[in-house]
Amino acid sequence: MGINRRQFSLLLAGSLIAPKLLAKQGSPLIASAAKNSSGQYELTIVDSGGNEYWRHPLTARAHHVEQHPTEPLLAVVGRRPETFIDIVDYQHKSLHTRILSQNGRHFYGHAIFSPDGRYLISTENAVEEGTGLIVIRDKQQNYSVVAEHPSGGIGPHELKSMPDGETLVVANGGIQTHPAQGRKKLNLDTMKPSLAYINARSGEIVEQVYMPEELHQLSIRHIDINGTGRVAIALQYQGEPYENPPLVAFHSQGKALELVRAPEPVNSAMKQYCGSVRFDSSGEVVAISSPRGNLITFWRQDKGAYLSKVTSRDGCGVAKTDRPGEFLISSGRGHCYRFNLHTQKKQKVPLQLSSSVAWDNHLNSFY
Amino acid sequence: MSLLTNSKTLIIGLASAAISIQAHGTVSQEQWRDLNMSIVNGHILPAYQALSESSTALEENTLSLCKDPQTATLDAAKTQFRATLSAWQGAQHITFGPIELLMRSYSIQFWPDKKNLTSKQLNKILQAEDPGSLSEKAFQTASIAVKGLPAMERILFAENALELIQTNPFRCQFLHAVSDYVKLQSRNTYNEWNAFKDEFAHLESEEGLYETAQEASIDLMKAQIEPLEVIRDLKILRPLAKSTAKPRRLESWRSNHSLQNMQLNIQSLHHMYSGVAGANLKALLEEQGAIDLAQGIEEQFVGLEKILNDIPTPLHQHIKDVSVREKLLLVSEGIELLGKSFAQAMKLLDVQLGFNSRDGD
Repeated sequence: MGINRRQFSLLLAGSLIAPKLLAKQGSPLIASAAKNSSGQYELTIVDSGGNEYWRHPLTARAHHVEQHPTEPLLAVVGRRPETFIDIVDYQHKSLHTRILSQNGRHFYGHAIFSPDGRYLISTENAVEEGTGLIVIRDKQQNYSVVAEHPSGGIGPHELKSMPDGETLVVANGGIQTHPAQGRKKLNLDTMKPSLAYINARSGEIVEQVYMPEELHQLSIRHIDINGTGRVAIALQYQGEPYENPPLVAFHSQGKALELVRAPEPVNSAMKQYCGSVRFDSSGEVVAISSPRGNLITFWRQDKGAYLSKVTSRDGCGVAKTDRPGEFLISSGRGHCYRFNLHTQKKQKVPLQLSSSVAWDNHLNSFY
Repeated sequence: MSLLTNSKTLIIGLASAAISIQAHGTVSQEQWRDLNMSIVNGHILPAYQALSESSTALEENTLSLCKDPQTATLDAAKTQFRATLSAWQGAQHITFGPIELLMRSYSIQFWPDKKNLTSKQLNKILQAEDPGSLSEKAFQTASIAVKGLPAMERILFAENALELIQTNPFRCQFLHAVSDYVKLQSRNTYNEWNAFKDEFAHLESEEGLYETAQEASIDLMKAQIEPLEVIRDLKILRPLAKSTAKPRRLESWRSNHSLQNMQLNIQSLHHMYSGVAGANLKALLEEQGAIDLAQGIEEQFVGLEKILNDIPTPLHQHIKDVSVREKLLLVSEGIELLGKSFAQAMKLLDVQLGFNSRDGD
């Protein structure tokens, strides 16, 4: 590990920038779906001083919060099998639009805005057909559906936009569920997870990579992408509890899937489950959370090499800051931390909330 | 039948009594710390100490058996195997801490074994008779299914175990190697817990695992509550199956220990709840004013122990009896209600067992 850290320091030396002093007081720092102490679900936004910025009640549990590239809007996406996306204006602190999925459809908790901000693109389930969809809505037409494409598999989850602005990369988790049976997994024996590159205009699947057959129960769920189009993947295993599969992967278009594992005892301590993945601001390092193992692991994107880990009880949300090698981490215990890989220091972000929250799966930072 | 009706009344009655509780309090960090320390010192450490001691004795017994394979040495090894299995059942619910390291828990007991991997892998090793497979190093890479108690059980409790051991010494040598491995894992777990317990004592350290005593208690509360579901689903409902019971799905059926395992599990959880001297969860609930709930949980444990004591053993020979099925279903129902009472207790104590770790996407 010592070697890894030294390598990492060298890696950072070229890209270190003067740290920004305190962000402007009162500006939003993080936004996340959460469950509050009365058991209600909400969007919670905290400012740079750790103060409550705005809390927006939700009709049900949400998952990912996506920031609009140019306007003060957030898309708060309902978690599987919910049927809502709240578009909120965080400057005016108001609900802008509540999008409901079409009949026979539900969301999977993830959506993104197109790079120009005009379209909202979500992963959805065509319930009766049991197939995954990419659905495109036009913000200028009050978010009416303008196109939909097959996602290339069952259970599409997180999606990202490639640097060309036209190709989407979609994690097809592979797991079949039906709202009539809640969140029950219906096809564990036959699941076939994949990563699909889809042309957003034509719907053409330009490339698709699959898990090797012996790891077909390794669900491709959460992804992030850096400026060069490198995809980092956080995996979740649906096989036997005593198995110890790799839980992280990287991919570059046109190449093979690179499955990587942490050295023991870390890989087994990740407990077959990764919840969230984000690149840092340099695009060189990724943070991957393993809430069941109470830890976050860090990886170099180029070689897919494991760097280090930090403990975080029930920690799941990860987000970049403006400093290379620095991340924000949120936990189900209601805490938020700033972790710097360069110094290996984990600092608590003191939060002043009127009542506590459990931070949900994903964290969005305003950097 | 009347006994069954009585038991049913007992369980349902207790649950409804527990549900009528309305109390709310705040527990101080000192109180959490006291609870943690008393559970760690009065419950967890003794449980692992017992496992370490019994597995050490078992290793000696298997060695004696190999040196002189006779009825007496085999019987002694079988008796000590049951004692070790019992100690393990008393510690099985502690699924966090040193036992997690490199999946130690699965290597001590690989179960449930849906594909019968233990038999398959064990037979391969026994047929190959490779002395290399006996070394500590070989055990590091050996299949997780052959390193622990289920592999030993297959050798010790085979129909003609003595004859097989007498005619094939390698069989006993491998039994001893497994026993040695279980001893080592048990001893290391106990020793590491003696260091790990500091996590519960010194919470101010920045490098520590827990930030507050309340946070540290969550792992203990999970160990108290989550195993209930495992007992119900894997030890009762899976062997009962939908209509015709499947005896070989029972845990430890070869050593006639299936029912005892469940009794020991419930006893151990009961001890963790109210049997620990000094601070315990029952007393904490009472201090918070939830006297009926605290007593309700206590009586639910007693009720479960009572029904379990009424079930004939060995369970795998009786599990197809209608009356046994009914009693087991009653235990399953009782476990579910006990889980609900505990959920109520956690709400009252403002403890969330886990959010992303338990219900992520």
